[in-house]
Amino acid sequence: MLLASLLVASFVIFAALYLAPGTPLAALSGGQPLPPGSVQVLEQRYHLNESFLAQYWYWLDNALHGNLGISITLRENVSTLIASRIWTTAGLVLYASLIIVVLGIGLGIVSGLRPGRLDTGVLVVTAVSAAIPAFVAAIVLIMVFAVKLGWFPALGNGTGFLGNVKHFTLPAVALAAASLAIVARVTRASVRQESDREHVQTAVSRGIPAHRVIQRHILRNAAIPITTITGITIASLIAVAAVVEVAFSLNGIGAYLVQAAETKDIAVVQGISLLLVTAFVVVNLLADVICAVLDPRLALRDRPR
Amino acid sequence: MAVVAAGTMAVAACSGSGSGSASSPGHVSSAPGLAAVTPAGAKPVSSVAWATNRDVISLDPIFSAGYPEYTADSLMCESLLRQAPDGSLQPGLATVSNPSPTALVFTLRPGVRFWDGHPATSADVVYSLDRAADPKLAGYYSGRLDRIASVTATSPAQVTVKLSQPDYWLEGELSSMPGIIIEKSFAEKQGKNYGTPAGSIMCTGAYMLKSFTPGVGVVAVPNPHYWDPSVHPLVAQITLKGVPDITSLTAGLLTGAIQGDYGVGLPTLGQLKGSSAVRVDLGPGWSSDVLEIASFKGVLGNLNVRRALSMALNRQAIINSVYQGAAQLPRWISNPGTFGYGQSVFAQAYDSSPVLTQNIAEARKLVQQAGDTGKTITFGTTSQQAVVAGVTAAYQAAAQAIGLKVALRSVPAQNYIDFFVSPQFRAGVDAFPAADYGDYADPAALLAAFDLPGGSVNYDNFNDPAITAALEQARTTANPDQRAALVIKAEELTIQQLPWIPDVEPDTVLVLSKDLTGALSSTAYLFSPWADQLGGTG
Repeated sequence: MLLASLLVASFVIFAALYLAPGTPLAALSGGQPLPPGSVQVLEQRYHLNESFLAQYWYWLDNALHGNLGISITLRENVSTLIASRIWTTAGLVLYASLIIVVLGIGLGIVSGLRPGRLDTGVLVVTAVSAAIPAFVAAIVLIMVFAVKLGWFPALGNGTGFLGNVKHFTLPAVALAAASLAIVARVTRASVRQESDREHVQTAVSRGIPAHRVIQRHILRNAAIPITTITGITIASLIAVAAVVEVAFSLNGIGAYLVQAAETKDIAVVQGISLLLVTAFVVVNLLADVICAVLDPRLALRDRPR
Repeated sequence: MAVVAAGTMAVAACSGSGSGSASSPGHVSSAPGLAAVTPAGAKPVSSVAWATNRDVISLDPIFSAGYPEYTADSLMCESLLRQAPDGSLQPGLATVSNPSPTALVFTLRPGVRFWDGHPATSADVVYSLDRAADPKLAGYYSGRLDRIASVTATSPAQVTVKLSQPDYWLEGELSSMPGIIIEKSFAEKQGKNYGTPAGSIMCTGAYMLKSFTPGVGVVAVPNPHYWDPSVHPLVAQITLKGVPDITSLTAGLLTGAIQGDYGVGLPTLGQLKGSSAVRVDLGPGWSSDVLEIASFKGVLGNLNVRRALSMALNRQAIINSVYQGAAQLPRWISNPGTFGYGQSVFAQAYDSSPVLTQNIAEARKLVQQAGDTGKTITFGTTSQQAVVAGVTAAYQAAAQAIGLKVALRSVPAQNYIDFFVSPQFRAGVDAFPAADYGDYADPAALLAAFDLPGGSVNYDNFNDPAITAALEQARTTANPDQRAALVIKAEELTIQQLPWIPDVEPDTVLVLSKDLTGALSSTAYLFSPWADQLGGTG
């Protein structure tokens, strides 16, 4: 399953990049027209003068042997280049996921259980934040919290754990904002829906304490849609992270993917894409497993993946 | 060259025979108020984060091709000759003499050492020059060294370069990337890794490489064994970091996360000028913002239409809105900042040439006379790069005002460079805006690239025998003033024939944290050590 996804993705991405206009040599030389001799040597070195299928096969053969190839622009192993940046993206996505899970689910539960002013407030705030794209959120956060207030740094990774946390806070919030709103709303709706179910009403009328009703009858049942939506949004964060990384000048694999695609550095694009596809599949699989644990009726093999 | 922001494309090289250019500093630029240096730093500084418009991709000078690489190499490495802030050529690691028109003798300065303490010898010089000239290595500069017949070590401190024909542009080339001297034994040991993130480099500059990590940056620290005792690097650590995103860069400069940047075509310059965190210095520039003409087969094949288009262009609007005031109205193609030799000869001729001003009525008449009213002109452009988009809009307005129809071929920002290198990509496009510079302060460096047959950006075989003759003669003329006179002739003919149309002459923009000073503020920063005087304000 995963292998099939990877193979198809690698072929489609390779083909798309091959068909896109431009040549990696243009980016390599910054658009400076190169001496014809140099062009010839470089095309030979990177197999750029061969057919599409030959180039793809050359890449695939190496990849199957665990060699992701060499970046044309940096003349360095792709795996080394990705490894040095992967923790930035992992840290950012993890931080944002934490915000989504704690704040998104938390707000959703509270506003689902307590109709009234708080609920209305959450609805308004989530409506706004769901509509703000990550790059806009990034600009607003930078201008307010970095430039005007000076609470957080405007760019870069920082050093040490505390430095990282400080540098990653604004990016993580920018990344989490829209997904957080969606998770909060879905949580609120499912909590509301479960609260109105007959067995819950019955339990309440029989005088079972509120915390037990909430825990055992409402949250337990609402947990399945909540887990599914959280899984999907977190998986999608991995792709959106690119936008945030660029806006905050973080050296993650998302920003690197953008840069590599712009310069047609095909081995790098392939390497990062495969990693993203894998992460996406794994996160969704995890969500499925959690759902199955929460509800034994859902046999894992019956669920679409 | 670089696209959007600017570009380098000189095929040619340059200048002066004697390194003693008759410099009269007041004449460096015809635009008053542009200083080539900022006051030297007075205090040590623990660290400086410096932004480049993208990540550095190589530290090997023969693969150095854009602002980030130039900025990194010129911070740490040194060439045989050095470009002074005013663009004049000075001795660098070596002094030069010309025993005959086809021979140059470079004599290394005594005491020059690499970072590892090894003395620089003529063997290192021969190795470095051969490497730059070798087409098999696929370096970017072999074409510009094509008149070199042989490079020979004639003593441990002396190298003789024999030429196939006289070439007074070569000294300019050897003051930029191809003239950088690297250590032979070190480079041979590194092999293909030289200058990559996996490898390292060995140069002679006052700052030396500490680390090169893609995504993080290039980190340089003072070289304790620097050969010139008069230079005392004041910054304990300089980090060059690629910050392609304009919002991020601006926020970084405003908050002090970034402390310096050469802001090429920066759309947020106005905001930065008003900030209390940074100071903006404008210096003489070497680049020219131009309309590059891709094809003479369409409506731009008619000289009167080219003249009309130039005449209809609102250049002041480009200066105000696109460059936020950091540019000058042109008189020639070349920026007056490039007068690195024969300064008084250049300045006099430049000052007596007319400023290009707008005259729409006259321009309309020219198009009518040409019988081209209602014909279509196609501009290559990108909406994702502020300078290109702004200049395109100005040309669109100009073309429509004189009765032409306009079509735009808009491409993503990252594909804009393909206009420069790919004939297929240019097909059907009449012209596209760009900023271009030569790699040393000589107007001929830029002219040669598009005026001469076979020039690297002479896209449609432009060939004006009088211009070609003037430039070819300039290349073989030893006397700087006589050479300047020939280049002036080429400029004056070029502005008549308009194989390219000049838009504006951008200044060099230096954005520096208020507590720093001492960085170069002319375009020499791309090719000469720009941070040797950088330090804290007193």
